[in-house]
Amino acid sequence: MVIALGFSLAIMISLPAGILANQQSTQTLTTGYNNAVSQMEQELTLITVTNSSSSTSPSLGSGYGGYGGYRVFGGFGGEGNYMNESVVDAINSIQGVVAVVPTLEVGEGITPETFTGYGGNTFTFNVSSYTIEGVPLNSALIAGNYVPLPTNITDGRDLQTGDSGVVVLSLNNTGYFDVTIGGEVNINGTNFQVVGVHGESGSSTFALGEAADVRTLYMNLTDAQAVSGLTGEVSTISVYADNSSDVSNVAQQISGLFPEFSVTTEESELQTIENTYNSTLAADQSAISSTQTVAFEEIAVAVVATSLIVLFVMLYTVRERTKEIGTLKALGFSNWNVMSQFMLEGILLSLVAGIVGIAIGSVGAPILSGLLLPHISNPFGSLGGRSGGGGFFVARSGGTPGAGVATAVSAAAPSPQLMLIAIGAAVVLGALGSLYPAWRASRTRPAEAMRYE
Amino acid sequence: MSEVILKTENLSRTYTMGKRSIPALADLNLQVQKGEFVAIMGPSGSGKTTLLNVLGCLDKPTKGKLILDGVDVAKLPESKLYKIRRNKIGFIFQTFNLLPYLNARENVELPMEGTIKSGSERKQKALKLLELVGLSGRGEHRPQRLSAGEQQRVAVARALANDPAIILADEPTGNLDTENKYEIVRLLANLNIDRGTTVVMVTHDSQVASHTERMLLLKDGRITKEKQGLHFAKKKRMCPYCGSKIQPHDEKCPSCKKRL
Repeated sequence: MVIALGFSLAIMISLPAGILANQQSTQTLTTGYNNAVSQMEQELTLITVTNSSSSTSPSLGSGYGGYGGYRVFGGFGGEGNYMNESVVDAINSIQGVVAVVPTLEVGEGITPETFTGYGGNTFTFNVSSYTIEGVPLNSALIAGNYVPLPTNITDGRDLQTGDSGVVVLSLNNTGYFDVTIGGEVNINGTNFQVVGVHGESGSSTFALGEAADVRTLYMNLTDAQAVSGLTGEVSTISVYADNSSDVSNVAQQISGLFPEFSVTTEESELQTIENTYNSTLAADQSAISSTQTVAFEEIAVAVVATSLIVLFVMLYTVRERTKEIGTLKALGFSNWNVMSQFMLEGILLSLVAGIVGIAIGSVGAPILSGLLLPHISNPFGSLGGRSGGGGFFVARSGGTPGAGVATAVSAAAPSPQLMLIAIGAAVVLGALGSLYPAWRASRTRPAEAMRYE
Repeated sequence: MSEVILKTENLSRTYTMGKRSIPALADLNLQVQKGEFVAIMGPSGSGKTTLLNVLGCLDKPTKGKLILDGVDVAKLPESKLYKIRRNKIGFIFQTFNLLPYLNARENVELPMEGTIKSGSERKQKALKLLELVGLSGRGEHRPQRLSAGEQQRVAVARALANDPAIILADEPTGNLDTENKYEIVRLLANLNIDRGTTVVMVTHDSQVASHTERMLLLKDGRITKEKQGLHFAKKKRMCPYCGSKIQPHDEKCPSCKKRL
C-alpha cells in the first residue's frame, strides 16, 4: 500500500522535474541561438560589391581557366575587373553604411604553364605564382574588425595601421621567396620587408603539386596598387550595413548608384538561418507545450490515483478496524475523536508515502520522465548536430546550442522546492483521501461495530 | 436505603429487517442498585447483548426510558452520549478488545484521554489500576504478550479508568478457560466488595452467573426469572453451602472446601 502510494507520488515528482529540465534546456538552446545570431550580425550585414561588367578584359590571371578542371586560383580573377577607389566615398555616404572596405587582389609572378590534357592535347595558361592582397590599413576599420587581415599569424606580427613597405607572407611564400622574418621580397622591382608569416593554407580543389597552394601576400592597399600598377583601383568593396535589416536597402542604393557593379548580400543566408531558427524554435516550443500537456495530464492522473489509493487504503483500514472503532466509541471517544484519529493516520500514511516517493523520485526521475513523457530529445539532438556541424552557424557558435542537449537528459533531478511541494501534496491528498473513510469511521454505530468480527 | 443507579421503564428495542420487525427487548423493566453485582442470563437470541448495548448507550432504545445515574439517556443525542459512555460506564467485552498496538498501560489510559489532561497523571492512575487487577509490572507489555486472562484483567482495569457508575460486562468469561473464568469473576466480585463497583454482567454460563449476587433470566426480550447467587451469601461472609463463616476473599470455603 505504502509502496503504491509512494509510486504514484514518485510520478508526481518526476513529471515536473522532467518538464523543468526540458524547459531549462530549451532556454539554453534559445540563448545559444540568440548568441549565434548576434555574433553573426556583422557577417550578415556584409554587402560585397564587385565589377561584373565584361567591358574590360581580365588582364591578370583567368578565373575561367579554373573551369578547365585543372586549377582554381585563390579566389581572385573570377571577375577580373577593377573599380575606381572613388566609389568608396560615394558608398560611404549612403545612409546605414557603417564601414566600407576596399581591397585589391591581384595575381603576380605570372608564368605561362603548359599542361597535357586528355587525348594528348596541350593547353597553355598564364599562372600566377602568388596573390597580393591589398587591404586598407585604416585604424577605424581595423578597430572595427572589418579589415580582412590574415587570421592565423604563426610568426612575427600582423599588419598594423599605417604599415607601408611591409608584407605578411603565407608559409608557402616564405619557401617561394626563400625569406624569413626581417628579410625582403622583391615584387615587380620593389622590395618589401617581411614582418609576419600567416598559416592560411590554400583551398585549391585540384592540387597539382606545391604550386596549387595559395600563396597570399598581405600588404597595404596603396602598396598593392602601386606595385601592381593599378593605382586607384580596387577589386572588391566590402560594405557593412549598420544592421541586418538595413542590408537590402543599402544594397539597393549601391545598385542604383552603380548599376554596372555586382552587389551581393548575405540576405538569403540570413533568411535561411532565420527560417531555420524560427521553425526549430517553434518545433521546440510545440514539443515543450505538448510535453507539458502530457505531463499535466499524467500529474492529474497521479493526483487522482493518489487520492484514490489513500481513499481505498483508508476505507480498507476502517473496515478492518470496525471493532476497534466500536471499542473506542464504547470507551467514550466522540465522533470527532475517531474522525481526527483516522484523518491523522491517513495523512501520516501519505506523508510516509511522500517521503518514499521523493526517494524513488530522486533516483528514478530521469528514468520515469523518460518513460512517461514524450521524447523531446529529438529536436534538440538534431539541432545540436546542425549547429555544431556549422552548416548554418559559424564555427565559434557551434558549441553553445549543442550543450543544451546534454542538460535536457541529465538535469531531471527534483529540486528542494519540488520536494516540499510534493510533501505538501502528499499531506493534502492524504487528508483528502481519508476524509470520507474517517467520516465513515466516525459514523460507525458502536452496537453494530461490536458485532463485527 | 440503597440508591438506584440504573433503571429501565418499558424499555423496548425493535430491529426492522425489511418488512419484518423483530422485538429484541419488549417493555423491559429493570432496576440495579448501587453496589450490586447482577448477572443477566438467557439463551442466545433472548436479547442479552441488545440489552447490554442499550444499557451501555451503544444502541438506542426504540421506546421507553433508561435512567442512568439519575439521567434519562434514552433520547440523548450522540454528541452527549459519548460523554455518558466515557464518564458513567465501563465496558468489558468477551473478546477483550484491547488495541493491539498499545501496551497494557496505554490501553488502560485510553478512556482517560478525554477526562485527564496530564499524561503523567493518566499513567499513574493506569498503573494503579493495573496493580488493582493484579498486573503490576506488566504495564509495558503488548496485549499479544499477555495471556487471555491477563488481557481481560487489562480490560477490567480499562473499564475502571474513569471511575464509572456502572460496569457492563458482555460475556467477560466467554473466551477464557475454566481457571481464568473464575479468576475474572472473582476479580469482579472483589471489586464489587472492596470498591462497591456496580457490575452488570451478561453471560450464558450459569456457573459464572451463580457467583453473582442476583441473576436475571432474559427470555424473548423480557426478564422472566430472578434469583439470588452465591455472591449474595458471600457478601454476608457466610458459606452458601455449609453456612460456616468465610472471609470475602476466600477462594474456597475453609470448612466444606467448596469453591466459592
